[in-house]
Amino acid sequence: MKSKLLGLVAAIAAVVSVSALAADPIKIGVSGPFTGGSAPMGVSMRDGVKLAVTEINAKGGVMGRQFVMVERDDEAKNERGVQIAQELINKEKVVATLGFINTGVSLASQRFYQEAKIPVFNNVATGSLVTKQFIEPEFKENYIFRNAAHDTIQSAMIVEEAITKRKFTKVAILADSTNYGQLGMADLVKALEKKGMKAVAIEKFNVKDVDMTSQLLKAKEAGAQAVLTYAIGPELAQIANGMEKLGWKVPMIGSWTLSMGNFIDNAGKNGDGATMPQTFIQEGNTPKRKAFIEAYVKAYKPANDRIPSPVSAAQGYDSVYLLAAAIKQAGSTDGVKVREALENLKEKVDGVVTTYDKPFSKDDHEAIKMGVPVMGQVVDGRVVPAK
Amino acid sequence: MDIFLQLTFSGIALGMIYAVIAFGYQLTFATSGTLNFGQGEALMLGALVGLSLAGNVMGGPYINYWLMIPLVMLFGALHGVVVERIGVQPSVKTKNEFGWIMSTIALAIIFKNVAENIWGKDDITFPSPVSTAPFEIFGARVQIMQVIVVVGALAIMLAVEMFNRKSIYGKAVVATANDSDAAGLMGINTAQVVTFSYALSSATAAFAGVLVAPLTLTGSTMGTALGLKAFAVAIIGGLTSGVGAIVGGLILGIAETLTGYYISTGYKEVPGLLLLLLVLAIKPSGLFGKTTIKKV
Repeated sequence: MKSKLLGLVAAIAAVVSVSALAADPIKIGVSGPFTGGSAPMGVSMRDGVKLAVTEINAKGGVMGRQFVMVERDDEAKNERGVQIAQELINKEKVVATLGFINTGVSLASQRFYQEAKIPVFNNVATGSLVTKQFIEPEFKENYIFRNAAHDTIQSAMIVEEAITKRKFTKVAILADSTNYGQLGMADLVKALEKKGMKAVAIEKFNVKDVDMTSQLLKAKEAGAQAVLTYAIGPELAQIANGMEKLGWKVPMIGSWTLSMGNFIDNAGKNGDGATMPQTFIQEGNTPKRKAFIEAYVKAYKPANDRIPSPVSAAQGYDSVYLLAAAIKQAGSTDGVKVREALENLKEKVDGVVTTYDKPFSKDDHEAIKMGVPVMGQVVDGRVVPAK
Repeated sequence: MDIFLQLTFSGIALGMIYAVIAFGYQLTFATSGTLNFGQGEALMLGALVGLSLAGNVMGGPYINYWLMIPLVMLFGALHGVVVERIGVQPSVKTKNEFGWIMSTIALAIIFKNVAENIWGKDDITFPSPVSTAPFEIFGARVQIMQVIVVVGALAIMLAVEMFNRKSIYGKAVVATANDSDAAGLMGINTAQVVTFSYALSSATAAFAGVLVAPLTLTGSTMGTALGLKAFAVAIIGGLTSGVGAIVGGLILGIAETLTGYYISTGYKEVPGLLLLLLVLAIKPSGLFGKTTIKKV
């Protein structure tokens, strides 16, 4: 009798656990700065991810399982990013992590995912090194993927715009002292070298600096015809406003962060004309993009219907679909299998940035190739395609 | 020459901001031998309260910039009283030499967190009350707001000095500063004088906040770096000298902009801090400070 009862209990337990397994959600980590100077990017990325997750779940999820987001605010701080990586891996046991806005945070945190064999999707961080941190021969497998325009592409586009298109012969580089700014500055120097040129001034500044007089004066005295920038919103605004203080106005051409809401708002009219590479501009020029923008504005109601960082939102959205396609193809949430599926993605993924046709291979973990991003320009407080 | 002048002007504007905050440190140090390590946060709160009144962050603007200033100073004074009552008085009463250091730092962190929750962690633009277009003096370009910062800073310091020298209440402050025990025996309520000096100190910091905000961005983190630099200024100039605060501020401000241009922007904060180390080694009471001999 007793053994019969035990058997019954075991059977029930087995059934319960099997059904629990079938309905087990797929946990994906989302790590990004939702507060502070990088927040427009982090929040837009998160909301883009959320939009895609909601859509996929509404259609029944992947392999009959629903996606669940585990969001964490890394505050753009390297040490916070590391703590979150460990929490997401060990406590939350995520299948993959999407996010990383800041190159420094990304470089500091993704080591833990690499060790745990969990794929990471950098959907905003642009440092050239990001996907090349764990490559052969030292590492056999690389778990780091990206669907953002990396700095090698961006710096080439910036230099192309300044030197080839606008025919400037003297340019200055202004970059902040973070990993992002300094690595970007190095990429700009390399891109200029390819054109046989050197910047007439290379200046740096700290995040939170309130006075850019010295840096701008040096650029001005060196005869710069344009300022190439690598920094984030608030300090870029200080540069634009600093130029007004000095009564010196030259074009600002820089990395995609010139499209951030907190640059555009804080620089006001001084920010007009700033030009930057964009993978996505808030302009519904295809039905898919139009639907995405409408859904975003409807769901999150941004101020003036302007997505704080359209690029981050679009890339965040696309990263979920790429991951979903890989999980579907792998038929599993095992990190190794998902990575293999990503490196040989058979299905074409139709995203809002572009259509991804075999976006990754074993040696190439960059989904955004040269030619995908276009130049955008700030006009009356909005980013529009550059003429 | 134009360049040098331009850098000097920017340095002066920056230095005067440091000077007003440093002056706030001095006010309380003179009367009580203590200071508020949250001076930068007092500035930040002043700027954010000012922004809420004269900007559009909280459904405003409610009043114009100039009318807002006295209200912000009143707020600053209340803030100073709170800091003194909660953070400083208990440790002074119990003759705890270092308690006030920890408690003013703790209060500073609390104020910062409160500000983050009310106004968010993002930097916000403070609408400038005057035209932002620069005008030219001897080939260098200056904004009207920069001039207002310099004039405003000097005016508030002068006003406090006049108050101390001419009014009966001011004399009580001076008496307490000179010899607290003797002042007490003469019937001056020294505890009240100390509270008053904290109110005055935070009011000047709040005033500095609304002055600098249109030139920089406003946000919960704006005070920390300024408060720290102003502390260096107070040490360089001497904690007991109003002139010292001005001179110290100008030295640090101009050293920063000049180094940024002529040496490297990466090292712009170094010369000022080297000077700080030098002053501490050679004349620990500051360039203009009175040397005090502590008898044991």
